[in-house]
Amino acid sequence: MSLSPPVLDLPFDTVPDSGEFLSAAMRWHFSPETGSAFWLRKLDELDFDPITEIRDTEDLTKFPDVSSELRDVRVEELIPRGYGNRPDVVGVYESGGTTGAPKRIVLLRDWLDRLLGWSSAQLDAHGVPHGLNWLCVTPTGPHMIGDVIKHQTAYRGGHTFTLDLDSRWVKRLIGDGRAAEADAYAEHIVDQVRHALRTQDIGVLMITPPMLERLARDDELVDLVNHKVRAINWAGTQMDPDTRHLYRTEIFPRTILYSGFGSTMILGNASERPGLSDEDPCVYDPFAPYMSFRVIDPDTGKPVGYGERGQVVMSHVSKSLLLPNILERDLATRIEPPRGTDSDSVADIAPVQQFDNEGVIEGVY
Amino acid sequence: MPTEPITLDALGPAGEYRTKQRLRVDYLTGGTAAELSIVPKVYVSRAMAALHKATSLPEQERLAALAKAGEIFVNETIAGLSFSEYEHTVTRTSGVPISVVRQATAAIAESAASVADTAPLARPQGAVGSWRDSRTRGGRAIWTRRGDVFAVHAAGNHPGPHSLWLEALALGYRVAIRPSRREPFTPHRLVTALRAAGFGNDQVVLLPTEYDAADEILRRADLGMVYGGDDVVRKYGGDTTILPQGPGRSKILVTADSDWRQHLDTIVDSISDQGGVACINATAVLVEGDPAPLAEALAERLAAIPSLPVDDERAILSAHPPSTAQAMQEYLAAQARESTAWLGGEGIVEHLDDGTAVLRPAVHQLDRADAPQAGIELPFPCVWVAPWNRQDGTAPLRESLVLTAITGDDQLVDELVAEPTVSNVYLGDYPTHWIRPGIPHDSYLGEFLMRTKAVARA
Repeated sequence: MSLSPPVLDLPFDTVPDSGEFLSAAMRWHFSPETGSAFWLRKLDELDFDPITEIRDTEDLTKFPDVSSELRDVRVEELIPRGYGNRPDVVGVYESGGTTGAPKRIVLLRDWLDRLLGWSSAQLDAHGVPHGLNWLCVTPTGPHMIGDVIKHQTAYRGGHTFTLDLDSRWVKRLIGDGRAAEADAYAEHIVDQVRHALRTQDIGVLMITPPMLERLARDDELVDLVNHKVRAINWAGTQMDPDTRHLYRTEIFPRTILYSGFGSTMILGNASERPGLSDEDPCVYDPFAPYMSFRVIDPDTGKPVGYGERGQVVMSHVSKSLLLPNILERDLATRIEPPRGTDSDSVADIAPVQQFDNEGVIEGVY
Repeated sequence: MPTEPITLDALGPAGEYRTKQRLRVDYLTGGTAAELSIVPKVYVSRAMAALHKATSLPEQERLAALAKAGEIFVNETIAGLSFSEYEHTVTRTSGVPISVVRQATAAIAESAASVADTAPLARPQGAVGSWRDSRTRGGRAIWTRRGDVFAVHAAGNHPGPHSLWLEALALGYRVAIRPSRREPFTPHRLVTALRAAGFGNDQVVLLPTEYDAADEILRRADLGMVYGGDDVVRKYGGDTTILPQGPGRSKILVTADSDWRQHLDTIVDSISDQGGVACINATAVLVEGDPAPLAEALAERLAAIPSLPVDDERAILSAHPPSTAQAMQEYLAAQARESTAWLGGEGIVEHLDDGTAVLRPAVHQLDRADAPQAGIELPFPCVWVAPWNRQDGTAPLRESLVLTAITGDDQLVDELVAEPTVSNVYLGDYPTHWIRPGIPHDSYLGEFLMRTKAVARA
């Protein structure tokens, strides 16, 4: 007994027609028998009919950005009724919580299976071997990333090693100007990494750029990584092109460097395009049409041209979740997607940087 | 002058290093002078680690290399620039007048030539230079480093301060410089010259970085020196491994037993020499008696300074982008509300034909010695003239890098010399900007870099 049309249940490597897929997804999420309580309630507030008017990912911009409501909504209301009374819930996860209270989403089994299939194929494309043990130096607790990696490692063979990393506490310390405590906490993480690397066969290191920087300035850890680790999968924040170049050429020259750019709000991540040279920008292609990106001018809301910088808007559309038109704080370069992809690709994700505190005019320096 | 922008690479432990991220350094009149490579934090961490692993040159070799570097600095073409082209580039990007740049570069060359003689001047007389000295037999103090790696967050207002850190190299430190975005040319030229003269790539490095990686240079060094404003002094004031170089707030005091008319040249010079951009320029003049005649005389003399493009040989005033000059003018106007303007009250910005703006001198009279304005140091000839009397005592003279006292009162001089927050006391016709190798600028740097240690042997 399934209420869902086959186009919503395709294997990961069968790319649906974007229009057909979106129409089916809208019918699923906005039909009283299958949609979630959250979206069925929202339907009255929409000034358009999603079932007839959403034909491509461009149309998803008609939706309001509802992500802030995910701070308060009961997670039961997010699960589409079409999953029945006993939905196969893998977990409830939260966004980082950098700005205000965290937002929650629910991960369902069918999406996880599709995501793992796709992610694993991406790892293959980058030459990351199967059967390796992974060490996850990523946020734990309510964060999705570490949990999904456990499933991915099991899928590809190998064991997952984890450690405790409370990223919200680090952000709080930094925000309060307690840099020394943040530093001590980060070194506490490094100690855990060292113990795992010394004693276990770690084949893949999943890590955030700030933690990788700490590893890179420790000779013993650099040696351990170069001896044992076949691939470094970095994600979570940005890495500038010069740092990436140093890792690839000088610090970890024999290690595959592979990255993802994602968000809890899209239930996964876009994947670094395989085969990029050192001179290329770091391009990410999303798992479209399930995840899609747009790069817009924040003042006008209009897309910027290919090669131009803008703010990233993300959408997730699957049988398990509808979360369209989420404005992210990251800036990126808009890149032409692979052929047949109904989404932008993005590159050079970066925060705005400053060289000096130039505001002060008193004094002569 | 080169027509294309020159490339300023980072100077790392494995040599020159060019990054994808570059910072443009523009001429004030438009156009780009240079593209500066900006290294990421992980590069900084590894460069600092390399400095720690390196060894320093033996003393005689490093002193010889310093002297040779001074000659290379002056004589060779570096990064595509002859010495004269380099000086003009500094002038046209930083806005410091060419004559001031020339004095500063001469001071750097002189420091390189004389540092072998001046660095040991800070050594306590009870200490010898090495444990091998025969005087350590039976026990003696030796003078030794507090660490091995010294970091500098450099200033961009004036090339002169780069003469100072050569002392650290002379004393055997490995040194990392983070240049200012406003003026990376001088440290790039100096570090290149030092390497050509014999210092290893892992003994002196130039690490241009973004703001977020700048602290990494200090964190990975044993000792550091940071130029900046009051915020920098506050940030590092409690850290015994960091020497902050904050505002100078240099001052002049004229007591009633001396006639300021006899010393007007000294006072005017203290305010306007170096274009007023240095921490050793006078910020306040305190006079026992009515300050109005002195303020009037200063206004007359300073008003005569011409507004000229900075690469004119006769230029005295520094140039700025018009928006920066305008902001400075507004800031001054807001601060000067409770004072009497003798010069500059109608505005201090003068726009030149070349598109730059010069900041013209300002003279304001305050009604009391402890008025807070007397501590406002701005990077152009801007002076606050205030009355002073015996009841005020030394309190309004505190927090001065240099205090020139024009007085016949030796008891007052005793008090000024004893005042802990006054770094230098000059008497009579020594302008506040007077500075010579071997005479401490703000204590000897060696007092910060070195310590004594007991060595006893048979």
